Parts: sequence; structure tokens; C-alpha cells
Amino acid sequence: MAIIKAEKTPDRSAPLFETSVIGWLHKNLFSSVFNTLLTILMLYIVYLTVSGVFVWGFADATFVAENRRECYDNSLTGACWAGVIHWLDNIFYGRYPRDQIWRINYGALLLVLWMAPLWMSRVKGKVLVGATVVVFYPFIAGYLFSGGDKGFFMQLMIASSIVAFAINMANMIAGLTKSLGLNAFIIQMLGQTNAPDKTQRNILLLLTALAFGAAYLWQMGWTVEGVSWTKWGGLFLTLVISGIGIASSLPGGIILALGRRSKLTVIRVLCVSFIEVFRSVPLITVLFMATTMFPLFMPEGFVLNKLVQVIIAVILFNACYMAETVRAGLQAIPRGQYEGAHTIGLGYWKTMGLVIMPQALKHMIPNIVGSFIGLLKDTTLVSIIGLFDILGMLRSISKDVPWIGLHKEPLIFGAILFFILCFSMSKYSRHLEVKLSAGKQH
Amino acid sequence: MINEQTQGQLASAISSEVMIEVNKMNKWYGSFHVLKDIDLTVHTGERIVVCGPSGSGKSTLIRCINALEEHQEGDIIVDGIKLGKNLKNLDHIRTEVGMVFQNFNLFPHMTILENLILGPIWVRKMSKADAIETAMMYLERVKIPEQADKYPGQMSGGQQQRVAIARSLCMNPKIMLFDEPTSALDPEMIKEVLDVMVELAGTGMTMIVVTHEMGFAKTIADRVIFMDEGDIVEQNKPSEFFENPQHERTKLFLSQIL
Repeated sequence: MAIIKAEKTPDRSAPLFETSVIGWLHKNLFSSVFNTLLTILMLYIVYLTVSGVFVWGFADATFVAENRRECYDNSLTGACWAGVIHWLDNIFYGRYPRDQIWRINYGALLLVLWMAPLWMSRVKGKVLVGATVVVFYPFIAGYLFSGGDKGFFMQLMIASSIVAFAINMANMIAGLTKSLGLNAFIIQMLGQTNAPDKTQRNILLLLTALAFGAAYLWQMGWTVEGVSWTKWGGLFLTLVISGIGIASSLPGGIILALGRRSKLTVIRVLCVSFIEVFRSVPLITVLFMATTMFPLFMPEGFVLNKLVQVIIAVILFNACYMAETVRAGLQAIPRGQYEGAHTIGLGYWKTMGLVIMPQALKHMIPNIVGSFIGLLKDTTLVSIIGLFDILGMLRSISKDVPWIGLHKEPLIFGAILFFILCFSMSKYSRHLEVKLSAGKQH
Repeated sequence: MINEQTQGQLASAISSEVMIEVNKMNKWYGSFHVLKDIDLTVHTGERIVVCGPSGSGKSTLIRCINALEEHQEGDIIVDGIKLGKNLKNLDHIRTEVGMVFQNFNLFPHMTILENLILGPIWVRKMSKADAIETAMMYLERVKIPEQADKYPGQMSGGQQQRVAIARSLCMNPKIMLFDEPTSALDPEMIKEVLDVMVELAGTGMTMIVVTHEMGFAKTIADRVIFMDEGDIVEQNKPSEFFENPQHERTKLFLSQIL
């Protein structure tokens, strides 16, 4: 005998205790007597902590004072933020000459503008934008920050950077207003849409050359005064070291990871030993080696400045960690993906660059960002070998005569700064994960 | 799973030109002898179905022809080029030989269209517009042009497999290899994939298909090859092969799956 259900069962809405706030509170916080007691106890502890911090940090705190004595006169139980505020410039810029600080600000602004198109969905050619940042920005920023005489090579690179930046901005505007790539936009403006590809390319090359000439002539007209790297410090120095570290450790890590998986024994052994050596030594040791041992092996009179040595050490150290992260990501890619790529004739590098790496990097985002956060925090170690990064600056506040002994407030301020930086990185990585996995249930 | 095709036996278009030649080919996985003294000649336009129990080496055979696996002894000559250690040759062979896998192996981070134009643009150096045109033509032939902007993960298995076939065809290959293309599919989707393959067979493409779909074999095959434990045990026209198998192993195999 057949059993048949004649009508389709209609959908009903979920019971209220599943969806309402009251239902949620009841289920999660007040489901039993014990649970209710626990909730109340926790709320009390939270209240004690928050109110204590509030009284110390805001209600009783001193924000304006000339020295620590005045802070005490104002309140004995509150924080003395006046010292931090007084030192704010030093915390951010170190001992960089005060009248030159605009150069750092402009450098930062330039970076933000340069990277901005990466977050705009209407702008085309994002890979190129990213590549120009990595290739050209260091030159123009390096000159802005250190200044002095421009050599011929520097002049070329600065002119190129200016052109690259200008093209990037024009491309952004073309993208935002017309949803077009810059090249298509220019060709359209000149009415050459139907011209053969070669003519179009020549027009674009000519324009680029003209722009380069103009930029070269313009940059010859100005120089900025030299600032020794010993004057760099504070958050600025921290961001320079960790920024370069972040930008170079990922490509370095990818190369080392590929080397470790190479079929060529010599390359594999080299990469493995390199990775294992650097990974088994603490960063502080690497930093000491870079600054004290390295010069011993160099020829007489060869002086590399300490900052460059530190940056090289940070890059090598983090590239080795990154290599292991990348290797883990590569192992998550099934063999079928390599075979699929091979059957359409892609060679090793194209398979890696177009098929394997994009997928592997997506899997690795949480780990990569984790490494970046670690790198940012680890750079505080450079204060031990005598660079005045942000931690060095915060700690020297307590040695400044008017603020002598002021330890707590600067360090808390530093903690808040680091928290903001690291937390936004981790938030951004979450956002990136969600965005990249959208529409791809796999 | 037997899928009886309604069209009946397709007319064959075999030329006398030799497309693939395998001579005394041997392959080992470690000390395990997978393929033993394989001799096989495939003519242009010929359609071959390879069947046999699992572990008989049928997948390994076609993977060797595409140089995805290395063979240790003997020769494989594809389209006049001998497979060996020469990487340039390998890349060339792979562009001439399309391959469809059991698990599709589409690239999950790209849309269907991007999957299809990747090879033509980066290997064949086609312009993007031309590549898109070709890709859309093949998507139309496998009857899913409206899915071009979806990601593989959003499609059914049958649709993904048709995309995989289209992706290989976009490279304009001379030979198509199929490695159990319907084994990972739900029963409802097998037919849509087989239909596409039958249509492809009608265009005169040289095909080697590893499959358990005996109905499909009867419809399109010019020759059926039965493999067991690394040997080619029996090969014959499909009518003879199914009606009148000679070898004991073949008889046993056919009695178990039919």
C-alpha cells in the first residue's frame, strides 16, 4: 500500500526564543540559578575593573601640566597623561628635526593615496597598483625621509616614482568617474579607439615618456636637507622597519618555500638549512649578530649603517617564518590542481603564479597576518640594540628630568597604540577572508 | 551504471595516420609493476574505450600518454613527438592533449570563464577578446553559456565536468583523454556529461576514454580495450567485444558489470 502525502508542508517562522533578544539572554545568561549567579558576579567584576580604570585614566587624571610635580599637586590617584602629551611628537617622530616633520607626514599621505585604489572596486589594474607601490614607493619615500644630495640613479628613480604615482592617481580618477582603465580612457579621449593596437601602444608610450621627462626636469629643481638615520625614531621608525619587513618577508618566504619543495637537491638543501638556522635562533640574537658580528666579516672600512643591518636581519628572520607558513598553505592544495594546470599546458611558474599561489595565499591569510602582527611587535626589540623606536622613546620619558620616573602612563599609551595597529590588522584580515571566500562554497 | 544511448553506433572517421604509438612500455610505482609491455597504436579520429577492474592500470596508461606520469621503459610517441625528460616537449604535448579528470580539477578561485580563457591567453598567447569568444563558443556547445560568471563551487558536478571538457577544448587539442569522467557524478548527471562526449565523438576527435559506462562504449567506441593487472588482455570492436568475449578474465568482468 502506498503512503502519500497530498499537500506540501508550508514553512513556519522559528519559535520566538530562538530569535528574540530576551530569548537569547535567557538561554545564554540566566538559564539556571547557578548561571544567573555567575552572570551577576561577572558583571560586578567587570564593573569594578572598568570603573577603576575610568577613575584613574579619566576622572582623576591630569592632562595639562609642565612636570610631574604639578601632576601630583593636581591629583595623587590619577594618571599623569601630561607627560605623554608633552612627548607626543617624540613618540611619533623620534628626534627627527621638528621643522622637517612634514616630510614624514607627506610620505605617509603618499602611501595612503597610492594604496587607496586597491580598495576601490571600480578601479582597474589593481595588480599593477600593488606592484608600483612595492617597486617605486621605497625610493621616493627613502629620499623624502633621508634627504641630502640626489645621485643620478636616485634622480631617475624619483622621477619614475613620480610618474608611477601620477599615472596611478589618474587611473584612479578614470576608474571612479568612467569605470575605465586609464589607457582605455586616454585612447577614448584622443578618439583613437579604432586605431590598431600598435598605434595605441605607441601613443601611450609617448605620453609616458613625456611625463617622465617633465617629472625629471621638475625634480631637478628641488632637494630636501639631509637627516641622518640616527635621528629617526618613535612610531615612525617602528613603522619603517616593520613596513619594509612586511613587504619583503612575504615574497622572500614564497621563494624560500618554493626552494624547499624544489626537485633540485642543492637548492632544497640550501633553503632548508637557511630556514632551519634562522628559525632556531631568537630574533634578538640575530639582531646582535647583524650589528656586531656582521661588520667583522666585512672588509676594512666597509660601514653599513646600523638601521640597514637591522632591517636586513628582520627581513631574513621573518622570511624564514613566512616560508613555513607558505609551505603549509601549498600543502593544502590538492594534486589535481597541479594536474589540471599541466593539462592546459601551463609550465611551473605559470602554474604556481596563476593557479596554486592564489589559492594557497587565501588559505594562509590568518597565518600570514598573524606573522605580520608578530613582526610589528617584535620590532620593539631594536630598542635593546640602541635604536630609538617607539618603545625606546616611551621609556626615555621616565629619564627626562621634568617627568622623571613616569613609567606607567607612557607604556599604557604604547600598549593602546599597538593594540589599535594590531587589532585593525587582524580585523582587516577577517574582512579579507570573508570577501575572498564570498561566492565560492568549496 | 549502464546508460543505453538512443543514437546507436556512431559512424567512425578513422584515418590511416597514427596519432599515438606506445611500444613495449613499462611502468613501476616503486617496486610495483603497474603497466607491463604495453603496445598500443591509436589512429587519428579513432575512439577508444578502456575498461577493466580497478587497479588494472587503465588510468595510469592514459596519464602516461599525457606525461602526467613518467614511464620507465619503452616509448610513447604522441603526434610524432617522443615523450622523455625534455621539458619543452612535455609542455608541447600537454597543449596538444586535452585531459578530463574524475574530479574535474577546475580552478575554484576563478570564474568559469576565467578557467576557460587561462590556457588560451597564457599558453596560446591569444588576445583576451578572442579567448573569450572561443570560450563562449565551447560553453554553448556544452550547453551552459549562462553560467560563465559563476564559480565552480556554485555548480553541480555534471555542470563542472562539462566545463572541464570545454576548458580542454578551448586549447584546441588533437587528442582528448577522459579519466573516468562520470565516476564522481550523481546518477542524474551522468547523462548530460555523456551526451556532450557523444557529440564530441561525432566531430571526429581522437579520444581515449577510461570508463565503466558500457552503454556509452557501445555507442561511440571504434575499439574497446580490456586491461587487467597491467596487461592489455583483450581488444576488439565493441560489437565483438560485448557479444563474444574471448578471454576468461573478460568474460568474468563483463558478467559482473552487465
